[in-house]
Amino acid sequence: MASFKSIIQDVKDEIGNISRKGFDHVKFGYGLRSRSHRVVQDSSVVVDALKQSCWASMPPELLRDVLMRIEKSESTWPPRKNVVACAGVCRNWREIMKEIVKTPEVSGKLTFPISLKQPGPRDSLLQCYIKRNRSNQTYYLYLSLDQALNEDGKFLLAARKLRRPTCTDYIISLNPDDMSKGSSTYIGKLRSNFLGTKFTAFDAQPPSAGSRVMKSRSTRLVNFKQVSPKVPAGNYPAVHISYELNVLGSRGPRRMQCVLDAIPASSIEPGGVAPTQTEFMSSTLDTFPSFSFFRSKSTRVENLESGRPMSAPKDGMLVLKNKSPRWHEQLQCWCLNFHGRVTVASVKNFQLVASPEQGVAGTEHENVILQFGKVGKDVFTMDYQYPISAFQSFAICLSSFDTRIACE
Amino acid sequence: MSSSPPPSSAAASPSCPKKMIALRSSDGETFEIEEAAALQSKTLENMIDEDCAGTPIPLPNVTGKILAKVVEFCSKHAEPGVDDESLRAWDAEFVNVEQATVFDYILAANFLEIPTLLNLTCNVVADMIRGKTPDEIRKFFNIKSIFSPEEEEEVRRENHWAFE
Repeated sequence: MASFKSIIQDVKDEIGNISRKGFDHVKFGYGLRSRSHRVVQDSSVVVDALKQSCWASMPPELLRDVLMRIEKSESTWPPRKNVVACAGVCRNWREIMKEIVKTPEVSGKLTFPISLKQPGPRDSLLQCYIKRNRSNQTYYLYLSLDQALNEDGKFLLAARKLRRPTCTDYIISLNPDDMSKGSSTYIGKLRSNFLGTKFTAFDAQPPSAGSRVMKSRSTRLVNFKQVSPKVPAGNYPAVHISYELNVLGSRGPRRMQCVLDAIPASSIEPGGVAPTQTEFMSSTLDTFPSFSFFRSKSTRVENLESGRPMSAPKDGMLVLKNKSPRWHEQLQCWCLNFHGRVTVASVKNFQLVASPEQGVAGTEHENVILQFGKVGKDVFTMDYQYPISAFQSFAICLSSFDTRIACE
Repeated sequence: MSSSPPPSSAAASPSCPKKMIALRSSDGETFEIEEAAALQSKTLENMIDEDCAGTPIPLPNVTGKILAKVVEFCSKHAEPGVDDESLRAWDAEFVNVEQATVFDYILAANFLEIPTLLNLTCNVVADMIRGKTPDEIRKFFNIKSIFSPEEEEEVRRENHWAFE
Protein backbone atom coordinates (compact mmCIF):
# COMPACT_ATOMS: atom_id res chain seq x y z
CA MET A 1 0.00 0.00 0.00
CA ALA A 2 1.33 3.39 -0.86
CA SER A 3 2.47 5.13 2.27
CA PHE A 4 0.52 8.14 3.35
CA LYS A 5 3.67 10.09 3.00
CA SER A 6 3.93 9.41 -0.70
CA ILE A 7 0.29 10.34 -1.23
CA ILE A 8 0.96 13.61 0.45
CA GLN A 9 4.02 14.05 -1.73
CA ASP A 10 1.97 13.52 -4.91
CA VAL A 11 -0.61 16.01 -3.78
CA LYS A 12 2.07 18.52 -2.92
CA ASP A 13 3.69 18.16 -6.30
CA GLU A 14 0.36 18.83 -7.92
CA ILE A 15 -0.28 21.83 -5.76
CA GLY A 16 3.27 22.97 -6.39
CA ASN A 17 2.40 23.18 -10.07
CA ILE A 18 -0.61 25.33 -9.34
CA SER A 19 1.20 27.64 -6.98
CA ARG A 20 4.16 28.01 -9.33
CA LYS A 21 1.79 29.53 -11.85
CA GLY A 22 0.62 31.85 -9.12
CA PHE A 23 4.19 32.97 -8.52
CA ASP A 24 4.61 34.08 -12.11
CA HIS A 25 2.24 36.89 -11.33
CA VAL A 26 4.28 37.87 -8.32
CA LYS A 27 7.37 38.35 -10.46
CA PHE A 28 5.74 41.27 -12.19
CA GLY A 29 5.93 43.22 -9.00
CA TYR A 30 2.44 42.84 -7.73
CA GLY A 31 0.56 39.73 -7.11
CA LEU A 32 -2.58 37.97 -6.33
CA ARG A 33 -1.24 35.14 -4.37
CA SER A 34 -3.28 32.01 -4.26
CA ARG A 35 -3.04 30.08 -1.06
CA SER A 36 -3.35 26.85 -2.91
CA HIS A 37 -0.59 25.09 -1.02
CA ARG A 38 -2.33 25.08 2.31
CA VAL A 39 -3.38 21.61 3.26
CA VAL A 40 -5.46 20.68 6.25
CA GLN A 41 -4.58 17.82 8.47
CA ASP A 42 -7.44 15.46 7.95
CA SER A 43 -5.83 14.37 4.68
CA SER A 44 -8.38 16.02 2.42
CA VAL A 45 -6.98 18.78 0.31
CA VAL A 46 -8.55 22.19 0.55
CA VAL A 47 -7.44 24.77 -1.92
CA ASP A 48 -7.93 28.28 -0.70
CA ALA A 49 -9.01 30.14 -3.78
CA LEU A 50 -9.32 33.51 -2.12
CA LYS A 51 -7.24 35.83 -4.24
CA GLN A 52 -6.39 38.20 -1.48
CA SER A 53 -3.14 39.91 -0.87
CA CYS A 54 -1.37 38.24 2.00
CA TRP A 55 0.14 41.57 2.96
CA ALA A 56 -3.25 43.03 3.71
CA SER A 57 -3.61 40.46 6.46
CA MET A 58 -0.18 40.91 7.96
CA PRO A 59 -0.38 40.78 11.74
CA PRO A 60 -0.42 44.35 13.10
CA GLU A 61 2.59 43.87 15.36
CA LEU A 62 4.71 42.78 12.38
CA LEU A 63 3.53 45.66 10.22
CA ARG A 64 4.37 47.95 13.09
CA ASP A 65 7.83 46.38 13.39
CA VAL A 66 8.51 47.04 9.71
CA LEU A 67 7.21 50.62 9.85
CA MET A 68 9.26 51.32 12.96
CA ARG A 69 12.38 50.16 11.15
CA ILE A 70 11.67 52.56 8.33
CA GLU A 71 10.99 55.47 10.68
CA LYS A 72 14.21 54.78 12.52
CA SER A 73 16.46 54.33 9.52
CA GLU A 74 15.07 57.21 7.47
CA SER A 75 15.91 59.81 10.09
CA THR A 76 17.11 62.54 7.73
CA TRP A 77 15.90 64.05 4.50
CA PRO A 78 15.55 63.13 1.66
CA PRO A 79 15.09 59.48 2.86
CA ARG A 80 12.52 60.64 5.43
CA LYS A 81 10.06 60.98 2.58
CA ASN A 82 9.69 57.21 2.84
CA VAL A 83 8.05 57.71 6.23
CA VAL A 84 5.54 60.07 4.66
CA ALA A 85 4.97 57.64 1.80
CA CYS A 86 4.14 54.84 4.24
CA ALA A 87 1.63 57.09 5.97
CA GLY A 88 -0.10 57.51 2.64
CA VAL A 89 -0.61 53.86 1.77
CA CYS A 90 -3.83 53.09 3.61
CA ARG A 91 -5.64 53.93 6.84
CA ASN A 92 -3.97 51.13 8.74
CA TRP A 93 -0.44 52.12 7.76
CA ARG A 94 -1.26 55.79 8.32
CA GLU A 95 -2.55 55.20 11.82
CA ILE A 96 0.52 53.21 12.78
CA MET A 97 3.04 55.58 11.22
CA LYS A 98 1.44 58.69 12.68
CA GLU A 99 1.66 57.07 16.07
CA ILE A 100 5.30 56.10 15.68
CA VAL A 101 6.46 59.53 14.52
CA LYS A 102 7.17 61.92 17.36
CA THR A 103 6.80 65.70 17.24
CA PRO A 104 9.83 67.90 16.52
CA GLU A 105 9.75 68.91 20.19
CA VAL A 106 10.53 65.36 21.21
CA SER A 107 12.46 63.95 18.25
CA GLY A 108 14.17 67.00 16.80
CA LYS A 109 12.95 65.89 13.37
CA LEU A 110 10.56 67.35 10.83
CA THR A 111 8.47 64.65 9.19
CA PHE A 112 5.02 65.72 8.01
CA PRO A 113 3.98 69.21 6.91
CA ILE A 114 2.24 69.64 10.25
CA SER A 115 5.71 69.48 11.85
CA LEU A 116 6.17 73.03 10.55
CA LYS A 117 3.34 74.20 12.79
CA GLN A 118 4.63 72.44 15.89
CA PRO A 119 7.13 73.69 18.47
CA GLY A 120 10.76 73.01 17.68
CA PRO A 121 13.09 70.75 19.65
CA ARG A 122 13.53 71.48 23.32
CA ASP A 123 17.24 71.23 23.74
CA SER A 124 18.73 72.16 20.41
CA LEU A 125 18.25 74.61 17.57
CA LEU A 126 16.81 73.24 14.34
CA GLN A 127 19.02 74.62 11.59
CA CYS A 128 17.34 76.01 8.48
CA TYR A 129 18.12 78.57 5.85
CA ILE A 130 16.21 81.04 3.71
CA LYS A 131 16.92 81.84 0.09
CA ARG A 132 15.67 85.06 -1.39
CA ASN A 133 14.69 85.22 -5.02
CA ARG A 134 14.44 88.87 -5.91
CA SER A 135 13.08 88.29 -9.40
CA ASN A 136 9.85 86.70 -8.22
CA GLN A 137 9.73 88.30 -4.76
CA THR A 138 9.75 84.89 -3.17
CA TYR A 139 11.51 83.53 -0.12
CA TYR A 140 12.18 79.82 0.31
CA LEU A 141 12.73 78.14 3.66
CA TYR A 142 14.79 74.97 3.75
CA LEU A 143 15.88 72.54 6.43
CA SER A 144 19.68 72.29 6.48
CA LEU A 145 20.85 68.78 5.78
CA ASP A 146 24.39 69.10 6.98
CA GLN A 147 26.58 71.27 9.10
CA ALA A 148 28.22 73.06 6.21
CA LEU A 149 26.55 76.21 5.03
CA ASN A 150 26.10 74.90 1.52
CA GLU A 151 22.72 75.10 -0.04
CA ASP A 152 21.59 71.53 0.19
CA GLY A 153 18.33 71.41 2.00
CA LYS A 154 14.85 70.03 2.28
CA PHE A 155 12.24 72.51 1.11
CA LEU A 156 9.86 73.53 3.90
CA LEU A 157 7.90 76.69 3.07
CA ALA A 158 7.73 79.47 0.51
CA ALA A 159 6.60 83.07 0.99
CA ARG A 160 5.66 85.50 -1.76
CA LYS A 161 5.57 89.21 -1.22
CA LEU A 162 2.48 91.08 -2.36
CA ARG A 163 2.58 94.83 -2.14
CA ARG A 164 -0.75 96.45 -1.44
CA PRO A 165 -1.74 100.11 -1.25
CA THR A 166 -1.68 100.31 2.53
CA CYS A 167 0.37 97.29 3.55
CA THR A 168 2.49 94.41 2.39
CA ASP A 169 1.48 90.77 2.60
CA TYR A 170 3.70 87.71 2.50
CA ILE A 171 1.66 84.65 1.55
CA ILE A 172 3.15 81.51 3.07
CA SER A 173 2.59 78.15 1.42
CA LEU A 174 3.70 74.52 1.41
CA ASN A 175 3.95 74.54 -2.34
CA PRO A 176 6.17 77.08 -4.05
CA ASP A 177 4.24 76.56 -7.27
CA ASP A 178 0.90 77.32 -5.65
CA MET A 179 0.93 80.48 -3.60
CA SER A 180 -2.75 81.33 -3.64
CA LYS A 181 -4.69 81.90 -0.43
CA GLY A 182 -7.50 79.64 -1.51
CA SER A 183 -5.24 76.67 -2.02
CA SER A 184 -5.01 73.75 0.37
CA THR A 185 -1.30 74.44 0.67
CA TYR A 186 -1.87 77.90 2.17
CA ILE A 187 -0.40 77.99 5.66
CA GLY A 188 -0.71 81.62 6.68
CA LYS A 189 0.58 85.07 5.96
CA LEU A 190 2.56 87.96 7.32
CA ARG A 191 1.11 91.41 7.03
CA SER A 192 2.97 94.61 7.66
CA ASN A 193 1.56 98.00 8.50
CA PHE A 194 2.04 100.92 6.17
CA LEU A 195 5.21 102.12 7.81
CA GLY A 196 6.78 98.69 7.98
CA THR A 197 7.20 98.97 11.72
CA LYS A 198 4.58 96.53 12.88
CA PHE A 199 3.73 93.09 11.53
CA THR A 200 1.17 90.45 12.26
CA ALA A 201 1.61 86.83 11.29
CA PHE A 202 -1.68 85.06 10.67
CA ASP A 203 -2.18 81.32 10.88
CA ALA A 204 -4.70 79.79 8.45
CA GLN A 205 -6.04 77.72 11.28
CA PRO A 206 -6.53 78.30 15.00
CA PRO A 207 -3.70 77.49 17.39
CA SER A 208 -5.39 74.55 18.99
CA ALA A 209 -6.49 73.03 15.69
CA GLY A 210 -6.61 69.30 15.95
CA SER A 211 -5.03 69.14 19.37
CA ARG A 212 -6.95 67.23 21.96
CA VAL A 213 -6.64 66.26 25.55
CA MET A 214 -6.39 62.54 26.16
CA LYS A 215 -7.70 60.61 29.06
CA SER A 216 -4.65 58.56 29.75
CA ARG A 217 -0.94 58.60 29.20
CA SER A 218 -1.23 56.10 26.42
CA THR A 219 -0.07 57.78 23.30
CA ARG A 220 -2.50 56.10 20.99
CA LEU A 221 -5.64 58.03 20.25
CA VAL A 222 -8.23 55.70 18.84
CA ASN A 223 -11.31 57.72 18.20
CA PHE A 224 -11.42 61.43 17.85
CA LYS A 225 -14.22 63.87 17.41
CA GLN A 226 -13.71 67.56 17.35
CA VAL A 227 -16.06 69.41 19.62
CA SER A 228 -15.74 72.90 18.20
CA PRO A 229 -17.64 73.75 15.05
CA LYS A 230 -16.24 73.65 11.58
CA VAL A 231 -13.28 75.94 11.22
CA PRO A 232 -12.98 78.03 8.10
CA ALA A 233 -9.54 78.68 6.65
CA GLY A 234 -9.05 82.10 8.04
CA ASN A 235 -6.66 84.46 9.66
CA TYR A 236 -5.83 83.67 13.23
CA PRO A 237 -3.28 86.07 14.68
CA ALA A 238 -0.24 84.11 15.71
CA VAL A 239 2.60 86.59 16.19
CA HIS A 240 2.77 90.36 16.63
CA ILE A 241 6.11 91.82 15.67
CA SER A 242 7.24 95.37 16.20
CA TYR A 243 10.40 97.24 15.39
CA GLU A 244 11.76 100.36 17.03
CA LEU A 245 14.87 102.40 16.86
CA ASN A 246 16.97 102.11 19.93
CA VAL A 247 18.21 105.11 21.86
CA LEU A 248 21.09 105.57 19.44
CA GLY A 249 18.70 105.99 16.55
CA SER A 250 19.73 104.47 13.30
CA ARG A 251 23.33 104.23 14.45
CA GLY A 252 22.47 101.40 16.78
CA PRO A 253 20.81 98.04 16.38
CA ARG A 254 17.05 98.21 16.17
CA ARG A 255 14.84 96.82 18.85
CA MET A 256 12.53 93.97 18.03
CA GLN A 257 9.66 92.53 19.99
CA CYS A 258 7.52 89.51 19.18
CA VAL A 259 4.36 88.60 21.04
CA LEU A 260 3.20 85.05 20.46
CA ASP A 261 -0.55 85.03 20.87
CA ALA A 262 -1.02 81.37 21.43
CA ILE A 263 2.09 80.48 23.40
CA PRO A 264 1.97 81.10 27.14
CA ALA A 265 4.93 82.72 28.86
CA SER A 266 4.97 79.72 31.17
CA SER A 267 5.92 77.50 28.23
CA ILE A 268 9.59 78.27 28.82
CA GLU A 269 9.42 77.62 32.53
CA PRO A 270 10.37 74.18 33.82
CA GLY A 271 7.47 71.85 33.13
CA GLY A 272 5.93 74.38 30.77
CA VAL A 273 4.08 73.41 27.63
CA ALA A 274 3.23 74.99 24.30
CA PRO A 275 0.19 74.17 22.15
CA THR A 276 0.79 71.57 19.47
CA GLN A 277 -1.32 71.40 16.36
CA THR A 278 -1.73 67.84 15.27
CA GLU A 279 -3.32 68.08 11.86
CA PHE A 280 -4.40 70.40 9.15
CA MET A 281 -8.11 71.05 9.19
CA SER A 282 -9.84 70.94 5.89
CA SER A 283 -12.12 73.87 5.58
CA THR A 284 -14.53 71.95 3.44
CA LEU A 285 -15.30 69.42 6.12
CA ASP A 286 -18.51 69.31 8.07
CA THR A 287 -17.11 66.72 10.41
CA PHE A 288 -13.50 66.17 11.20
CA PRO A 289 -11.38 63.21 10.28
CA SER A 290 -11.66 60.41 12.75
CA PHE A 291 -7.96 60.05 13.42
CA SER A 292 -5.92 62.61 15.18
CA PHE A 293 -2.67 61.95 16.88
CA PHE A 294 -1.61 64.00 19.78
CA ARG A 295 1.99 63.49 20.52
CA SER A 296 2.98 65.91 23.22
CA LYS A 297 2.40 63.89 26.33
CA SER A 298 3.31 66.70 28.68
CA THR A 299 0.91 69.13 27.08
CA ARG A 300 -1.88 66.66 27.29
CA VAL A 301 -1.48 65.82 30.92
CA GLU A 302 -0.92 69.40 31.98
CA ASN A 303 -4.06 70.61 30.36
CA LEU A 304 -6.13 67.76 31.63
CA GLU A 305 -5.11 68.65 35.13
CA SER A 306 -5.66 72.34 34.80
CA GLY A 307 -8.83 71.99 32.81
CA ARG A 308 -7.74 74.98 30.83
CA PRO A 309 -8.41 75.19 27.10
CA MET A 310 -5.19 75.48 25.24
CA SER A 311 -6.14 78.26 22.97
CA ALA A 312 -6.27 81.02 25.57
CA PRO A 313 -3.17 81.21 27.71
CA LYS A 314 -4.32 82.96 30.82
CA ASP A 315 -0.88 83.49 32.28
CA GLY A 316 0.34 85.91 29.64
CA MET A 317 1.65 85.46 26.16
CA LEU A 318 5.25 84.69 25.41
CA VAL A 319 7.20 87.79 24.49
CA LEU A 320 10.49 87.55 22.65
CA LYS A 321 12.98 90.36 22.35
CA ASN A 322 16.16 90.63 20.42
CA LYS A 323 19.28 90.06 22.41
CA SER A 324 21.27 93.21 22.91
CA PRO A 325 24.50 93.15 20.95
CA ARG A 326 27.64 94.24 22.75
CA TRP A 327 29.72 97.07 21.46
CA HIS A 328 33.12 95.78 20.43
CA GLU A 329 35.55 98.61 21.07
CA GLN A 330 38.38 97.17 19.01
CA LEU A 331 36.28 96.15 16.02
CA GLN A 332 34.10 99.27 16.42
CA CYS A 333 30.89 97.37 15.78
CA TRP A 334 27.97 95.72 17.48
CA CYS A 335 28.52 92.03 18.02
CA LEU A 336 26.42 89.02 18.75
CA ASN A 337 27.77 85.52 19.02
CA PHE A 338 26.05 83.57 16.30
CA HIS A 339 28.28 80.56 16.81
CA GLY A 340 29.38 80.54 13.21
CA ARG A 341 25.89 80.42 11.78
CA VAL A 342 25.92 84.03 10.58
CA THR A 343 28.89 85.29 8.60
CA VAL A 344 27.89 88.60 7.06
CA ALA A 345 27.19 91.70 9.13
CA SER A 346 23.72 93.02 8.54
CA VAL A 347 21.17 95.05 10.40
CA LYS A 348 18.74 92.24 9.65
CA ASN A 349 20.65 89.77 11.83
CA PHE A 350 19.13 89.04 15.24
CA GLN A 351 18.83 86.66 18.12
CA LEU A 352 15.54 86.42 20.00
CA VAL A 353 15.34 85.50 23.64
CA ALA A 354 12.42 85.37 26.01
CA SER A 355 11.76 88.69 27.64
CA PRO A 356 11.64 88.67 31.42
CA GLU A 357 8.11 88.70 32.74
CA GLN A 358 6.67 92.15 32.72
CA GLY A 359 7.12 93.89 36.01
CA VAL A 360 9.74 91.42 37.09
CA ALA A 361 13.21 92.85 37.09
CA GLY A 362 15.78 90.44 35.88
CA THR A 363 18.48 89.77 33.43
CA GLU A 364 17.72 88.83 29.90
CA HIS A 365 17.16 85.15 29.31
CA GLU A 366 20.20 83.52 27.80
CA ASN A 367 18.47 80.86 25.76
CA VAL A 368 18.27 81.89 22.11
CA ILE A 369 14.93 80.78 20.71
CA LEU A 370 15.31 82.17 17.22
CA GLN A 371 18.43 83.25 15.40
CA PHE A 372 18.57 84.75 11.92
CA GLY A 373 21.37 86.15 9.84
CA LYS A 374 23.07 86.63 6.54
CA VAL A 375 25.59 84.19 5.10
CA GLY A 376 25.50 85.18 1.45
CA LYS A 377 24.05 87.60 -1.01
CA ASP A 378 20.56 86.10 -0.88
CA VAL A 379 21.03 83.38 1.72
CA PHE A 380 20.25 83.60 5.40
CA THR A 381 20.33 81.03 8.18
CA MET A 382 17.36 80.57 10.49
CA ASP A 383 17.75 78.48 13.62
CA TYR A 384 14.83 77.94 15.95
CA GLN A 385 13.76 75.83 18.89
CA TYR A 386 10.94 75.22 21.32
CA PRO A 387 8.50 76.75 21.94
CA ILE A 388 8.08 78.34 18.51
CA SER A 389 7.41 76.59 15.22
CA ALA A 390 9.06 76.77 11.81
CA PHE A 391 6.07 78.71 10.50
CA GLN A 392 6.23 81.32 13.27
CA SER A 393 10.01 81.58 12.91
CA PHE A 394 9.78 82.05 9.16
CA ALA A 395 7.19 84.78 9.56
CA ILE A 396 9.32 86.62 12.10
CA CYS A 397 12.37 86.42 9.83
CA LEU A 398 10.38 87.71 6.86
CA SER A 399 9.53 90.81 8.87
CA SER A 400 13.23 91.43 9.31
CA PHE A 401 13.58 91.59 5.53
CA ASP A 402 10.74 93.98 5.21
CA THR A 403 11.03 96.47 8.05
CA ARG A 404 12.24 99.91 7.21
CA ILE A 405 13.62 100.57 10.67
CA ALA A 406 17.33 101.30 10.79
CA CYS A 407 18.24 100.26 7.32
CA GLU A 408 21.66 101.12 6.05
CA MET B 1 -1.24 6.66 10.89
CA SER B 2 1.83 8.36 9.65
CA SER B 3 5.09 6.57 9.27
CA SER B 4 7.16 8.52 11.73
CA PRO B 5 10.89 8.48 11.60
CA PRO B 6 12.69 6.39 14.20
CA PRO B 7 12.23 7.96 17.61
CA SER B 8 15.13 10.15 18.57
CA SER B 9 17.52 8.00 20.46
CA ALA B 10 19.65 10.79 21.78
CA ALA B 11 17.65 11.21 24.94
CA ALA B 12 18.54 7.84 26.32
CA SER B 13 21.91 7.14 24.75
CA PRO B 14 24.88 9.03 26.15
CA SER B 15 27.02 8.10 23.15
CA CYS B 16 24.78 9.98 20.70
CA PRO B 17 26.38 13.39 20.36
CA LYS B 18 23.47 15.47 19.08
CA LYS B 19 19.95 15.58 20.34
CA MET B 20 17.40 15.79 17.54
CA ILE B 21 13.98 17.32 17.81
CA ALA B 22 11.18 16.22 15.53
CA LEU B 23 8.79 18.76 14.11
CA ARG B 24 5.60 18.18 12.19
CA SER B 25 4.29 20.72 9.72
CA SER B 26 0.65 21.61 9.16
CA ASP B 27 0.56 19.32 6.14
CA GLY B 28 1.92 16.35 8.03
CA GLU B 29 5.55 16.44 6.99
CA THR B 30 8.09 15.65 9.65
CA PHE B 31 11.47 17.25 10.00
CA GLU B 32 14.36 16.68 12.29
CA ILE B 33 16.35 19.52 13.71
CA GLU B 34 19.30 19.57 16.06
CA GLU B 35 18.42 20.84 19.47
CA ALA B 36 21.00 23.61 19.24
CA ALA B 37 19.30 24.82 16.08
CA ALA B 38 15.84 24.42 17.55
CA LEU B 39 16.79 26.64 20.45
CA GLN B 40 16.95 29.57 18.02
CA SER B 41 13.19 29.48 18.31
CA LYS B 42 11.80 30.66 21.63
CA THR B 43 8.62 28.75 20.93
CA LEU B 44 10.51 25.50 20.44
CA GLU B 45 12.73 26.26 23.38
CA ASN B 46 9.68 26.45 25.63
CA MET B 47 8.31 23.23 24.24
CA ILE B 48 11.60 21.42 24.66
CA ASP B 49 11.79 22.59 28.25
CA GLU B 50 8.38 21.16 28.83
CA ASP B 51 9.85 17.87 27.78
CA CYS B 52 7.95 16.99 24.64
CA ALA B 53 10.80 14.76 23.63
CA GLY B 54 9.93 11.64 21.72
CA THR B 55 6.91 12.86 19.83
CA PRO B 56 7.13 15.26 16.93
CA ILE B 57 6.15 18.78 17.91
CA PRO B 58 3.11 19.78 15.84
CA LEU B 59 3.35 23.17 14.19
CA PRO B 60 -0.09 23.79 12.72
CA ASN B 61 0.83 27.26 11.50
CA VAL B 62 3.71 26.27 9.25
CA THR B 63 3.60 24.26 6.07
CA GLY B 64 6.22 21.67 5.15
CA LYS B 65 7.63 23.82 2.39
CA ILE B 66 8.33 26.69 4.76
CA LEU B 67 9.31 24.56 7.74
CA ALA B 68 12.01 22.91 5.64
CA LYS B 69 13.52 26.32 4.98
CA VAL B 70 13.16 27.42 8.59
CA VAL B 71 15.00 24.30 9.72
CA GLU B 72 17.69 25.09 7.18
CA PHE B 73 17.96 28.64 8.52
CA CYS B 74 18.17 27.64 12.14
CA SER B 75 20.69 24.92 11.42
CA LYS B 76 22.89 27.33 9.55
CA HIS B 77 22.72 29.87 12.34
CA ALA B 78 23.61 27.21 14.92
CA GLU B 79 26.63 26.12 12.93
CA PRO B 80 29.84 26.88 14.75
CA GLY B 81 32.71 28.71 13.10
CA VAL B 82 30.79 30.64 10.48
CA ASP B 83 32.13 34.16 10.14
CA ASP B 84 29.78 37.14 10.10
CA GLU B 85 30.40 38.04 6.50
CA SER B 86 29.65 34.57 5.17
CA LEU B 87 26.55 34.34 7.32
CA ARG B 88 25.34 37.69 6.03
CA ALA B 89 25.86 36.58 2.47
CA TRP B 90 24.08 33.32 3.18
CA ASP B 91 21.17 35.23 4.75
CA ALA B 92 20.92 37.48 1.71
CA GLU B 93 20.63 34.43 -0.54
CA PHE B 94 18.12 32.86 1.83
CA VAL B 95 15.70 35.76 1.46
CA ASN B 96 16.28 36.16 -2.24
CA VAL B 97 12.90 34.64 -2.93
CA GLU B 98 9.50 35.71 -4.13
CA GLN B 99 7.57 38.26 -2.13
CA ALA B 100 4.97 35.71 -1.05
CA THR B 101 7.64 33.41 0.34
CA VAL B 102 9.14 36.24 2.35
CA PHE B 103 5.71 36.76 3.81
CA ASP B 104 5.54 33.09 4.79
CA TYR B 105 8.97 33.36 6.42
CA ILE B 106 7.84 36.33 8.44
CA LEU B 107 4.77 34.55 9.71
CA ALA B 108 6.81 31.47 10.58
CA ALA B 109 9.52 33.52 12.31
CA ASN B 110 6.82 35.34 14.27
CA PHE B 111 5.01 32.19 15.28
CA LEU B 112 8.18 30.34 16.17
CA GLU B 113 9.75 33.46 17.74
CA ILE B 114 13.04 33.30 15.88
CA PRO B 115 14.55 36.77 16.38
CA THR B 116 17.28 36.41 13.75
CA LEU B 117 14.87 35.31 11.04
CA LEU B 118 12.29 37.90 12.03
CA ASN B 119 14.89 40.63 11.94
CA LEU B 120 16.15 39.48 8.55
CA THR B 121 12.73 39.23 6.94
CA CYS B 122 11.40 42.48 8.39
CA ASN B 123 14.45 44.24 6.98
CA VAL B 124 13.71 42.68 3.60
CA VAL B 125 10.17 44.00 3.70
CA ALA B 126 11.39 47.44 4.77
CA ASP B 127 13.74 47.36 1.77
CA MET B 128 10.82 46.53 -0.49
CA ILE B 129 9.03 49.62 0.79
CA ARG B 130 11.87 52.14 0.70
CA GLY B 131 12.00 54.40 -2.30
CA LYS B 132 8.42 53.80 -3.39
CA THR B 133 5.58 56.27 -3.61
CA PRO B 134 2.37 55.37 -1.76
CA ASP B 135 0.86 54.26 -5.04
CA GLU B 136 3.82 52.01 -5.84
CA ILE B 137 3.71 50.54 -2.34
CA ARG B 138 0.02 49.77 -2.76
CA LYS B 139 0.57 48.11 -6.11
CA PHE B 140 3.51 46.11 -4.87
CA PHE B 141 1.71 44.72 -1.86
CA ASN B 142 -1.70 44.74 -3.47
CA ILE B 143 -3.21 46.87 -0.71
CA LYS B 144 -6.40 48.81 -1.16
CA SER B 145 -6.46 52.29 0.23
CA ILE B 146 -9.83 53.41 1.43
CA PHE B 147 -9.27 57.02 2.29
CA SER B 148 -12.02 59.60 2.51
CA PRO B 149 -11.74 62.44 -0.02
CA GLU B 150 -10.36 64.69 2.74
CA GLU B 151 -7.76 62.13 3.75
CA GLU B 152 -6.80 61.65 0.09
CA GLU B 153 -6.28 65.37 -0.19
CA GLU B 154 -4.16 65.41 2.94
CA VAL B 155 -2.07 62.48 1.71
CA ARG B 156 -1.59 64.11 -1.65
CA ARG B 157 -0.44 67.36 -0.07
CA GLU B 158 1.90 65.58 2.32
CA ASN B 159 3.52 63.53 -0.41
CA HIS B 160 3.83 66.43 -2.80
CA TRP B 161 5.68 68.32 -0.07
CA ALA B 162 7.79 65.34 0.99
CA PHE B 163 8.89 64.51 -2.53
CA GLU B 164 9.50 68.18 -3.38
